[in-house]
Amino acid sequence: MRYREIIMANFMRLFSLIPLILIALLLTRPGLAQETAEIVCIQCHSGLPEIYSQPIRLWRGSIHAENDIACHDCHGGDPQDAANAMNPQRGFLGVPQEPDIPAFCGRCHVGVMRDYLASAHGLALGRGGPTCVTCHGNHQVLKATLELINEKSCSRCHSYERARTIRAAMQETEGLLVATETRLNDFKKIGSNTEKLEKELFSLRNSFHSLFHNVNLETVNKQAARIQLELKKIQAVLTEWDQAVQRRKIAGALAVSVMLLIALLAHLVRKTYD
Amino acid sequence: MDHKRRTFLGIGLAGLGALAAAAVGWPLFRYLAPRSSREAAGKVVVPEGDIPEGGARFFEYAGSSAVLVRKRDGGLVALSAVCTHLGCIVQWQKESQDFLCPCHAGRFSTDGVVIAGPPPKPLAKIPFSVSGGNITVG
Repeated sequence: MRYREIIMANFMRLFSLIPLILIALLLTRPGLAQETAEIVCIQCHSGLPEIYSQPIRLWRGSIHAENDIACHDCHGGDPQDAANAMNPQRGFLGVPQEPDIPAFCGRCHVGVMRDYLASAHGLALGRGGPTCVTCHGNHQVLKATLELINEKSCSRCHSYERARTIRAAMQETEGLLVATETRLNDFKKIGSNTEKLEKELFSLRNSFHSLFHNVNLETVNKQAARIQLELKKIQAVLTEWDQAVQRRKIAGALAVSVMLLIALLAHLVRKTYD
Repeated sequence: MDHKRRTFLGIGLAGLGALAAAAVGWPLFRYLAPRSSREAAGKVVVPEGDIPEGGARFFEYAGSSAVLVRKRDGGLVALSAVCTHLGCIVQWQKESQDFLCPCHAGRFSTDGVVIAGPPPKPLAKIPFSVSGGNITVG
């Protein structure tokens, strides 16, 4: 009896540790650790008047924030040292002048910058032409989609007609891209290894979206056709995966039926001994 | 009568048991057996003369983009041309003798080692052999 009490007491002691272990695990999650250790740019700017804190708010909803690209990745400086955060000697670049914006963004987006500089938009740089931020915004940079080409945005500078034609030419491919991504995400959710296809899709999406900077309809059509062909290859793989899932479902149903049948036969065999 | 019935049911049970064992064993075998990869089957032959010194030649290999580079010292390298960051196809920069990923400025050396940017891993090396003036990749 005494032993039983000791065992129960130890068990309860261990049981009471479970919540503590869970809390410790939760606190050591990398995401949470990152959130608590915010860089000094955010710590400081969050408490400043709207003009200085707005970039933080906008950035939080951006594709950059989603991918852990923070203030210093674009503006330079030291994100760990408040005193030197904006020291040019620590690489602080500040805000670029308008003609320098493409080169500023192009440090990472090299391919896009090349396409832009070769386009009618890029050729008008410094002469009233649009820069990256004119269409993409600066801090709340969103994932590029065909929605970026719209009457409201394009009409700020010129007539929408040509842009409308280009958008219409790209619509089908964009639809295929979105549909493929949705299907791929569905497979990812159920644990399929989608890494290779995701990378192929990203590469295709990138080549396709770089066409946004090209205002030559013939090039757009030619490239869109090539990208559609590649997308259809990914779709074909996903269709094979779909079929495999269907086959697994049928096999699962058959396995359950066989088990039920085995149980029934075992029951009948047992009855022959009664 | 019971004996006959029991034998009949026993045979049925054994049959279903064998079916159940096969149903468990087959996926297990499929999982453990080496992949009959369609990808591994292909070999690509490139004439040696197609790649000048300091130049690169891109080609399709195992369903992905790959590249052969002849270094300035004459050595050959075969690499996957798929950037290890997000999967864009890298571009050969003849002047600087390195690879540049146009998507997020990842840079790789001639041997595929990351020298700048966000890629987490080097470019994957691909085996190849040279004989009779031809480079056989794969």
